[in-house]
Amino acid sequence: MSNPTKNYQRNVSEHLPTDDQIPSTILVVDDSRVVRTYLQSHLQKEGYEVIVAKDGKEAVSLLSDNIGIVLLDLWMPEMDGMACLRYIRENFADIPTIMITVSHEISNAVEAMKYGAFDYVTKPFNPNELLALVQQALKTRIQAQRLRKVEAELAKAREHEISIASRIQQTLLLGGAPKNLKGVRIGDLTIASKKIDGDFYDFYMVGDTCFDVIVGDVMGKGIPAALLGAAAKQHFMAALYRLTRIPEGSSMPAPEEIVQSVHREMIGQMKDLETFFTLCYARFDLTKNLISYVDCGHMRTIHYHFETNSCTLLQGVNMPLGFPGQDHFKQILIPFSNGDLFFFYSDGLTEAKNPKHEFYGEQRLVDLVRRHSFLEPQELCKTAWKEITAFSRSDTFSDDFTCVAVKIEVPEPTERYDQEWKLEVPGDLGELGRIRAFIQDMCKSMGTNVVDDERIKMIQIVATELMTNIIKHAYQGRKGETVLIEAKTSRDEIILNFYDRGIEFDFSSAPKPVFDGSKDDGFGLHIIAHTADYVRYSRDETGRNCACVTFFLQRRGQG
Amino acid sequence: MKFTVENLDGITIVSALPKVLDASNAMDFKADMGHILEESSRVVFDMSNLKFIDSAGCGALITSLRRLKGSGGILKLYDVQKQVRSVFELVRMHKVIDIYNTRQEAVSSFSQEE
Repeated sequence: MSNPTKNYQRNVSEHLPTDDQIPSTILVVDDSRVVRTYLQSHLQKEGYEVIVAKDGKEAVSLLSDNIGIVLLDLWMPEMDGMACLRYIRENFADIPTIMITVSHEISNAVEAMKYGAFDYVTKPFNPNELLALVQQALKTRIQAQRLRKVEAELAKAREHEISIASRIQQTLLLGGAPKNLKGVRIGDLTIASKKIDGDFYDFYMVGDTCFDVIVGDVMGKGIPAALLGAAAKQHFMAALYRLTRIPEGSSMPAPEEIVQSVHREMIGQMKDLETFFTLCYARFDLTKNLISYVDCGHMRTIHYHFETNSCTLLQGVNMPLGFPGQDHFKQILIPFSNGDLFFFYSDGLTEAKNPKHEFYGEQRLVDLVRRHSFLEPQELCKTAWKEITAFSRSDTFSDDFTCVAVKIEVPEPTERYDQEWKLEVPGDLGELGRIRAFIQDMCKSMGTNVVDDERIKMIQIVATELMTNIIKHAYQGRKGETVLIEAKTSRDEIILNFYDRGIEFDFSSAPKPVFDGSKDDGFGLHIIAHTADYVRYSRDETGRNCACVTFFLQRRGQG
Repeated sequence: MKFTVENLDGITIVSALPKVLDASNAMDFKADMGHILEESSRVVFDMSNLKFIDSAGCGALITSLRRLKGSGGILKLYDVQKQVRSVFELVRMHKVIDIYNTRQEAVSSFSQEE
């Protein structure tokens, strides 16, 4: 019979790839020179490489990833076996450690196994038992190493897959929001999660005053989800193209027909893949002030009403695309008014969790949209991201974070402004009086009683709050900066633009006003939002902030 | 900042408030009012002179209110002007500070509470 140990060593060499360092060195740790020498010569005779240490301290200095296993005496002077075992478990968890003990102290060896020792041998040694144990431990060691390697490769493969999925998402899934569309402003934001879950959105211009917004979310994650999302987008594009071409000269197909057509095209594939996607298709008609809305199980779109400063949630009646048995899709019509805002989003927003595992939830999101409805849509999306990451105390989510904000502008009056005014002042609180005098003069010059004294005071307070915010927050109290104020007046309204070159204001960091008398600040933004008729904050590409406030002199009709 | 301070049967009446209370003088107001509030517990502000207030000004009034409450005192206002009243309503100041039309009403409200 051939020697089992030698046999085993040969097997190991055959199974492992040649570039692998096989950790087969045995470290013997014992304070008795006799024991060390015995074990060393005995194991070397069996073909193993052996190094020795006289105590735990020396053993620690010899430990490395090349060590296959450790034979460790329980009782030693400098750093005993238990302490050394703890060190090995903490720093080289994959190295099996066999405890050496005398027969009457087996209970200590058993205790050591509780702390992660592989096994124990008793002195005097039984050579066969010892060899079998060493062999078993080495096998475990090599398996552990293999597992690590496979794990590392798997992680690398996953990372690679995610980077592909992320590229698919960035290039195929996300449409560019139409810019310079008259009467509407659009903001969009996607932050891909670690896993990519196939959120997609797109925009189609249907005419000069009509456009479609599509927001979808594919069930599943990674490349499959990203590819299905891309396929869905492709199908929508094709459906739109086909439906607009075939009936010569006829009008644009309704969103429900488009969704239906895409569903018909894709249902077969999706059934095979056992997947589906939720969708929200909204057509904005800016002439009729009307949305045609097809919802297929997507998150409820938030509709902010400018006139009443309140929100409603849009929900359709359709099942997600890919659910069998659905052969008809229904659209609903929702009227909107100037100044209204629509906020489309994926479940990544509402299902973000805080450390207590509470969801961010729909209600908080509605509240966020209402509080920040005065922001530019792009700013609103960014603020949502900031607030939700602050809530979850993390900026990595398990779902993609996708949102699209569409804001209907309050149109500029058709007639030209009668007069324009300009004032440039140092960024200093001492200038507040001068700004109020500027507004007083401007209002008075518009004619007797065009703007009454009470209204002038309300315009003055908005100007005071805006200026104070610029000095305190944009310029952080820095001296030597200036603020430019431009005013335009017409029969219908007064527009004030405040320009500064300070830092961008982070609206998500602004505290909510507290009205119970416990806080003596945080009222400024609230006063502005509730006194001016229309507020818009923006920042241009040169880093200039603009706060634009409008005061209507007489209530303009819709449209 | 100079105020006129009168004492009427243990009630401190502060009048001659500035015409404008905004971010430019709110800090001074808090500091100078602090000295008066240290020695009083029942305080009434005559608001007739104050024609314009902003959020920082409201903050200064809330600071005064909290200082007094912290030492068991009370703050009341009277004769609040129109613009100031509008801003108070916006930030719900009228819910946290008692406001009276006249000095007489403000002063006698203390005895009614006893």
